[in-house]
Amino acid sequence: MTGPDAATANPAGLHGALAPAPGDPGPPAGEPVPHGIGASLPPADALPKTTGTFPYAADLWAEGLLWAAVLRSPHPHARIVSLDTSAAARMPGVQAVITHEDVPGDATHGRTVADRPVFAKDVVRHHGEPIAAVAADHPDTARLAAAAIDVEYEVLEPVTDPEKAFEAEPLHPDGNLIRHIPLRYGDPEIGGEVVVEGLYRVGRQDPAPIGAEAGLAVPRPDGGVEIYTASTDPHTDRDLAAACFGLPPEQVKVVVTGVPGAMGDREDPGIQLPLGLLALRTGRPVKIALTREESFLGHAHRHPTLLRYRHHADAEGRLVKVEAQILLDAGAYADASAESLAAAVAFACGPYVVPHAFVEGWAVRTNNPPSGHVRGEGALQVCAAYEGQMDKLAAKLGLDPAELRRRNVMSTGDLLPTGQTVTCPAPVAELLEAVRDAPLPALPKDTPEDEWLLPGGPEGAGEPGAVRRGVGYALGMVHVLGAEGADEVSTATVKVHDGVATVICAAVETGQGFSTLARQVVQETLGVEEVHVASVDSDQPPAGPAAHGRHTWVSAGAVERAAKMVRTQLLQPLAHKFGMSTELLSIADGKITSYDGVLSTTVAETLDGKELWATAQCRPHPTEPLDETGQGDAFVGLVFCAVRAVVDVDIELGSVRVVEMSVAQDVGRVLNPRQLDARIEAGVTQGIGTALTENLRTGKGIVRRPNFTGYPLPTALDAPDIRIVKLVEERDVVAPFGAKAASAVPVVTSPAAVAAAVRAATGRPVNRLPIRPQAAVASPARR
Amino acid sequence: MLPSSLDEAVAALSAMPAAVPVAGGTDLMAAVNSGLLRPAGLVGLGRVNEIRGWQYQDGHALLGAGLTHARMGRPDFAALIPALAAAARAAGPPQIRNAGTLGGNIVSAAPTGDSLPVLAALEAAVVVAGPDHGRREIPVSHLLAGMDLLRPGELVGWVRVPLLHAPQTYLKATGRTGPARAGASVALVLDPARRSVRCAVGAVAPMPLRPLEAERWIAGLIDWDGERGVAPEACAAFGEYVAGACIPDPEPGEDGSEPPALPPAVLHLRRTVAALARRALGRALA
Repeated sequence: MTGPDAATANPAGLHGALAPAPGDPGPPAGEPVPHGIGASLPPADALPKTTGTFPYAADLWAEGLLWAAVLRSPHPHARIVSLDTSAAARMPGVQAVITHEDVPGDATHGRTVADRPVFAKDVVRHHGEPIAAVAADHPDTARLAAAAIDVEYEVLEPVTDPEKAFEAEPLHPDGNLIRHIPLRYGDPEIGGEVVVEGLYRVGRQDPAPIGAEAGLAVPRPDGGVEIYTASTDPHTDRDLAAACFGLPPEQVKVVVTGVPGAMGDREDPGIQLPLGLLALRTGRPVKIALTREESFLGHAHRHPTLLRYRHHADAEGRLVKVEAQILLDAGAYADASAESLAAAVAFACGPYVVPHAFVEGWAVRTNNPPSGHVRGEGALQVCAAYEGQMDKLAAKLGLDPAELRRRNVMSTGDLLPTGQTVTCPAPVAELLEAVRDAPLPALPKDTPEDEWLLPGGPEGAGEPGAVRRGVGYALGMVHVLGAEGADEVSTATVKVHDGVATVICAAVETGQGFSTLARQVVQETLGVEEVHVASVDSDQPPAGPAAHGRHTWVSAGAVERAAKMVRTQLLQPLAHKFGMSTELLSIADGKITSYDGVLSTTVAETLDGKELWATAQCRPHPTEPLDETGQGDAFVGLVFCAVRAVVDVDIELGSVRVVEMSVAQDVGRVLNPRQLDARIEAGVTQGIGTALTENLRTGKGIVRRPNFTGYPLPTALDAPDIRIVKLVEERDVVAPFGAKAASAVPVVTSPAAVAAAVRAATGRPVNRLPIRPQAAVASPARR
Repeated sequence: MLPSSLDEAVAALSAMPAAVPVAGGTDLMAAVNSGLLRPAGLVGLGRVNEIRGWQYQDGHALLGAGLTHARMGRPDFAALIPALAAAARAAGPPQIRNAGTLGGNIVSAAPTGDSLPVLAALEAAVVVAGPDHGRREIPVSHLLAGMDLLRPGELVGWVRVPLLHAPQTYLKATGRTGPARAGASVALVLDPARRSVRCAVGAVAPMPLRPLEAERWIAGLIDWDGERGVAPEACAAFGEYVAGACIPDPEPGEDGSEPPALPPAVLHLRRTVAALARRALGRALA
């Protein structure tokens, strides 16, 4: 969760915990609190989070702990000529100094390809790459000792332009091309009557999780180690760590602490691995807390992307063919880039019917900061480009941009350019019409001029005469669950004892609301009011990464199945006794009643002190990898969204204020209305950051200004009125509860909508995100 | 150490020259917390009451260095020195404005410091307290330009600002609607007594820049005894004049070859300064 999430999701939680939000009728006095599916159940941790008592990884403590510090490369590309740790090791208070020589297991790791060294050995490939780690009695001693490690570098020319990566000397034994997908769909020779071309760039967004990255490793008597950290995928992290530590997975346990926001992979593995190694080496607990600068350097960012497009359409504006080239800058290591590229290529044409598509996608290695999973990866970048193309096409044809889009939208049964049929609900036209028909915000002409909130803020330089308003539309799509054959299974256990239910599932609550949803599911199925969700560690059965909305789908699905099994166990003896099937019995408010009212007993009485346990799995239908022409049924489900942005632009200064964002979203089914609204608002706000301010700058591969002054996130003043004009509840029959994941698609769609609105306000092409002020400057003669 | 008077603070600093004075701490403590600075000692100025308010002195205001931005942003202060109040209100979120001080802003001398162009345009001077009750004045612009530096043991005590009784403006261009550092800023004050316009441009150079020729030119066009107005074209020309003076075209090569073109980002900065200066003048004369 980045700043925007923290800014919007938590206040929503606050409302939930303390008082009903204005306009929300809430339960009348004396009525039970909301429960079950469809209710605005407040998150259980809302109160501790808002009052500051919720423990995060940075708050952990163990008796006699040591502090770790990591030495990171100051160069984006260099050969390590020599590495001398003796001065650091001699410093008083230093307990251990480790380098690549001290990694007992695999020297490299990675989520898909093990291509990233735990510590750089001969060569460093990005600014901030870990080289060594120190454990000492005091955090300052550890930092000073890390700085005292003597490294002699032979600085090499960094490859920072992804276009040059193809020709450059290999930066890695695996080569510079991480993946190439040449998607071919339809007839390459066909052409349209109208052709528009464009070149688009999307910058490097940092997930900027607002809580500090931190962790604690504790050695175990059996020679193993426990790592306490805000992991979003404890089992993968455990396997990866065990391989590097040279231990069997059973001897490594990853315990998930409170997650202070996650937009992607939460913790940089560059901290978990040194922590574990230091704890094993010293036999003492070791803690680390990263500075914001280290966070900016270490964890994965959104792929900076270069996109070249050519759209062909007929005279009525119907798309004939899309040609595209997409180049993702993966940074130095593969990480999740192959999957991001698949999403970028598959969604390169957007939620439109395109009979012929030719898309070349590449993910290449550079010496820039690492890229990886940040929600909506791949889909966001192409959305900015294909929506830019749609605006261009509308301008060329003299059509209204919303009308042009309406003529091309896809619906259920249409084909993606990967050849996959869209089988899930795809109410794209309905979404577009909802945002198009929503009333526009009023101009502030009736309020006194000095009360207007102009671009640049309340004390800014905005001048009403130079402000132009623009309205822009964007449609976006994103896939749900891992793609291309990933086994997206999740396992959950439900226990009932003494009228209290407990859910044990290794799905990490990252702020997405899984633990609240799990409580709702159990309440709905078992009629038990009090439901606890156990904390997560890697000794539980795996539930997979908290990404692509998978926990709403598979983990909540697994919880429901387990709860149903418990229900059957509970009711079976009763049903048998009375000669009826369990379906004729219902549970509510702790009471079991039969359909005819003859039988009435309580859950506690039926349990009779027994504990009931059940464990179940949920696994969606299988997918297949994209083949050598980019064809294949690669995705389990798709989600769609339409956004209308209204912006004010000071056309002399190029400053932009987003006035309003209207969102219509395909959600399948609303499981928790208030939580859903919070997720959409958070996503839109993050999208505004992508559109206007968030870009981690580099110069020759060196990260410039890695702090929140140099990397401005949207503040409360930057977040506009966000109006959710329609939630289309067309259930996805293959999804548990029919619900679709809601968090990622507004992030994907909002930046393109803001760009379209700035285009409308200024008449400028706006082909680069974030939008730089010089790209939003126009001559006052226009309009 | 927490001295309760300026002289005590000066004495403490003289006794321990390696110690660093700290007022609001908004810049200093960030540097300490991130490990960039390890001061041997801190001399806290929070209890020095004599520098927390202001007094009047022959047509000037003597502003205490410990005035917070929040205090300067209030309406009573804005009636005295409107541009400084506007700069104080624009300087970051409320938490920062509640802690950050005028003196700290001067001593930090960040290029984006919001009060600095205003002080440069006002031709303010700092009153420095030194050992043995020593007091001396340094023009703010000399201090910022490094022409006259604080000596060991010296502290900024007050800032002497002329009271001009005329419109003043401070405008700042930022990258977002919420609080942010200035991309460029312009302070402009009218001095009817001297019939002059004084303008300073912040954030485009390490210290505020004064476009003196542009100031003189526009002051000559203003009808000081009448409506104090100028034609809109003159306003626009003033903006261009200021921008060209602060962000000049590159010099032609020595062999008379074509000078390199300014990069687009610099051209945009120049356009921004021109728009800000035009708006600042327009608002001051409105």
